[in-house]
Amino acid sequence: MSQRYDVLVIGGGHNGLVHAAYLARAGRKVLVLERRHIVGGSAVTEEVFPGFRFSVASYVVSLLRPEIIRDLDLPRHGLEILPLDGTFTPMENGDYLWRVNDHAKTRREIARHSRVDAEAYEEYGKAMVEMGRFVKPILSTTPPDPTSLDPRGLWELLKIGRRFQKLRPEDQQNQVQLMTMSAVDFLDRWFETDVLKATMAASGIIGTFLGVRSPGTAYVLLHHYMGEIDGAFRSWGFARGGTGSISDAIAAAAREAGVEIRTEAPIAQIRVRSGRATGVVLESGEEIEAAVVSSSLDPRLTFLKMVGRRELPDDFVEDLERYKFRGSSGKVNLALDGLPEFPCLPGAGAHLRGAISISPSVDYMERAYDDAKYGRFSRRPYMDIVIPSLTDPSIAPPGKHVMSCFVQYAPYHLKDGNWDDERDAFGDAVIDALAVHAPNIRNHILHRQVLTPLDIERIFGLTEGNIFQGELTLEQLFFLRPAPGWAQYRTPIRGLYMCGSATHPGGGIMGAPGRNAAAVLLFDSKRRRA
Amino acid sequence: MNRAALEARHDLIVIGAGPNGLVAAALLAKAGFRPLVLERRPIVGGTAVTEEFHPGFRASMVAATAGPVLPGIVRALDLRRHGFDPIRPPVRLFAPSADGRALLLREDPARTMSDIAAFSRKDAETFPQFAASLSAIGGLLAPLLSTTPPRIDRPGGGDLLRFGRLGRAFRALPRRDAWRLLRWGPMAVADFAAEWFESEPLRAVIAARGIAGCFAGPWSAGTTANLLLAAAADPHSGGPAGFVRGGMGGLSEALAGAARAAGAEIRTGAEVVSIRVVNGMTTGVVLAGGEEIAARAVVSGADPKRTFLKLVDPGEQDPDFLANIANLRSSGTVAMLHFALSGLPEFRALAGKDAASSLSGRIHIGTEIDEIERAYDAAKYGDFSPRPYCEATIPTLSDPSLAPPGGHVLSVRAQYAPYRLKSGSWKERSGELSDAVVRLLSEHAPKLKERIVGMKVLTPPDLEETYALTGGHIFHVEHSLDQIFTMRPLLGWARYRTPIGGLYLCGSGTHPGGGVTGAAGANAAREIVRDRKKR
Repeated sequence: MSQRYDVLVIGGGHNGLVHAAYLARAGRKVLVLERRHIVGGSAVTEEVFPGFRFSVASYVVSLLRPEIIRDLDLPRHGLEILPLDGTFTPMENGDYLWRVNDHAKTRREIARHSRVDAEAYEEYGKAMVEMGRFVKPILSTTPPDPTSLDPRGLWELLKIGRRFQKLRPEDQQNQVQLMTMSAVDFLDRWFETDVLKATMAASGIIGTFLGVRSPGTAYVLLHHYMGEIDGAFRSWGFARGGTGSISDAIAAAAREAGVEIRTEAPIAQIRVRSGRATGVVLESGEEIEAAVVSSSLDPRLTFLKMVGRRELPDDFVEDLERYKFRGSSGKVNLALDGLPEFPCLPGAGAHLRGAISISPSVDYMERAYDDAKYGRFSRRPYMDIVIPSLTDPSIAPPGKHVMSCFVQYAPYHLKDGNWDDERDAFGDAVIDALAVHAPNIRNHILHRQVLTPLDIERIFGLTEGNIFQGELTLEQLFFLRPAPGWAQYRTPIRGLYMCGSATHPGGGIMGAPGRNAAAVLLFDSKRRRA
Repeated sequence: MNRAALEARHDLIVIGAGPNGLVAAALLAKAGFRPLVLERRPIVGGTAVTEEFHPGFRASMVAATAGPVLPGIVRALDLRRHGFDPIRPPVRLFAPSADGRALLLREDPARTMSDIAAFSRKDAETFPQFAASLSAIGGLLAPLLSTTPPRIDRPGGGDLLRFGRLGRAFRALPRRDAWRLLRWGPMAVADFAAEWFESEPLRAVIAARGIAGCFAGPWSAGTTANLLLAAAADPHSGGPAGFVRGGMGGLSEALAGAARAAGAEIRTGAEVVSIRVVNGMTTGVVLAGGEEIAARAVVSGADPKRTFLKLVDPGEQDPDFLANIANLRSSGTVAMLHFALSGLPEFRALAGKDAASSLSGRIHIGTEIDEIERAYDAAKYGDFSPRPYCEATIPTLSDPSLAPPGGHVLSVRAQYAPYRLKSGSWKERSGELSDAVVRLLSEHAPKLKERIVGMKVLTPPDLEETYALTGGHIFHVEHSLDQIFTMRPLLGWARYRTPIGGLYLCGSGTHPGGGVTGAAGANAAREIVRDRKKR
């Protein structure tokens, strides 16, 4: 037994690091333990092929809470966000849809498909901003427990209720529908252009095991209007140097505040004595003690693997076993010696600098989902593609490019076969689906890295390869995340906290769970001292 | 006749003599009003009607069973005295499995358990716990059926009180059930069924209750809410099997009898083509023949789209409200098929068993959740499935009067049959659907085809045309999280009132929705009485 810490943070992902930084700033002695050789968790940049540096898993920034950027002074620690402007959707009929941040341009482009939709797009944007304003404060709220009589929880619920009442009637209706409808049904109310609906709805299914017609997917549409970079609503971006540099900046801020970070320190066990966490045991056998342990891992790893069922209430174990992961996505990273050429909009124009969405129609999206429902990867998958080397040439050798394809659906549980055997077939399906729209792509691939949900689980420690540490479905959100009664970052084990994406408000490079959990932890420790 | 004289005769007009319209009329008459019910068809009943579809064979054409009718309504209207004779068969549901076995959910829980044990011992052991949990939550939700949804947009004092009561009832639940209710509502009913049971036939049967009549598959999120609402009306795990002597028309006749006895007048063959509105207030209706009838209030049992988009002049309405009504999801997904049979179909799963008793409830055809989901997939792309999910009944087993001696009626609700087909029209393709249904049923009852002597198919457009269901939706408006309770039909307008003064809604498009419980009609009547008394 060596040093004694106030808090041990398990996992050096962005949430773990944010959590640690806030705790250290409040005067706690904090040690972060990371299994891999680098910090960042799913927000890492790695040189997968010589000279080509990839944001291997998470690849865009949008929801990183601005208060975190401010509090931790991340720009000073090297965070620089580069613009990711627009979404380009090639269509099956040889046309395309290309939306950009410039309102007038997008309006003209949508009008090319439908005049009515061009009008509606403005209205839609305004309505979504209003909705975003309503939801935003909820992201930084610790979820109340609606079954308890705790007046503070009731007050929180009442506050949300009162804010709801203050919305205009049409916004109230939008809000309710956003929480309950499918993305396509919601968009049907506004638009008629199929490709527009397909591309917008795609954001509602990322990381879930749901289709664009599944109720509950509308809510995520909102996230696209909550992304704020330097205060500008709706903008998405790349981090210079890849998403790993976000983690590096947070890590630097944490270190400056006094956090100690150890990499290559995988944890075997969380020590529990008489219902209280006392520290951890590393896989190496080393033991580290601390007053408090805070885990940024998903609850299956934290509790069922590291704590053990014996220490936990039966109900809680039952709820954790029911908690749904159902990873549904894969990632294909390509090293290219040239740019893809889309015959529907030839040339290396600005459309390649934004996101390229393979979502040509609502039915295409839904069929991709149907494959997954019955346990196969999509023969024609939905893809969200970026070529960050166009914006940040430092990540690829001169004249060459890195291309990152987020691919859905790739169900973790295959009906036939296993992912180790299917990996190449999956990679081929992705290239085939891409080649439908950019036939020259095959000629430019130097290297290809295919990450199946099984690979994502192995490399990043995400159970069943779910990129959000558990599905973002209504029954696993807010006061139900990750388990009924345990949505407030505390756990049935005293001195053990959760601070990862499996807690409210969920996944994405947001940092909110880490920050919210730090506030709860500090509140508890002050109460104990008082 | 001058206007004053007309008003003396009828202060209220009810559009449509469906179960909800009749319940509303009867209760309003009992409260001292003089309602006039106007029904466009020659018979009363709306979707609860018995009609001859083949010489000597009569069927409940749309709704095959009652949801059931709320006991409070049966009592208040003394329906039994007016001829309502409910039949409770010994078996709630029979589901033949693909491998030729029979899953039976009976009235008798002990025998149900032993039947389930043939599929899974573990499931048989879990079943009583499941039934108890469903009963507890159904019991909590049951009062909601007869509650006017509170205004959550601008709650008043009464609403806060109602909220408080709801909250108290919620907190009175065991904590485990309270969490369950919150967690289950938004879940896919397939996940819900899988949480409880391991055997696929049982899962499919439980899940089906969450999607019956809806444009949603068992894997669609939010379908558990439908199941829980259904459990509020009937907490039995097998779902309702409430037949009525004389078919569902028997119920409507009794409702009409009660309404008339209380002082309501009912005119059939009187189609309302327009609701008159002057300065935001309704003044009466116009019939197809041009006849105008004045009234201070009009209560529409028609669906919201028909009421506002067809019957009321758009110039008199708020365009935003109209747009929201037009956006309601109400695309039908079921077709009804009625077969006249020369004898009882022989199900392989029931060989050597008491077939008549086993077939006396609802018959569920859909042995796996994925099979039902696949049927839904077809509908998503605008086609009907070659293997639809079917629910059948043979009402002649409990009421032989519906067919000539020895004959039987087999009524099938086939799902999913989307209102809009991507290729071809329903006129051309209804034969394909009936072939598919017969083929599917024949897998379980091989000699069915030989017994068929007559047939009637009602596709969604038929349901729209004959029964005035916009989009052919049997529930008027889709049952889904965004269109239930305080959102049915629209947030802010879930309290049976409408933006037009004196115009009310009382049909399935309002809370608590479809399923022949009479609840919407009773709730609307209560609100109307409250409003009118104020004056």
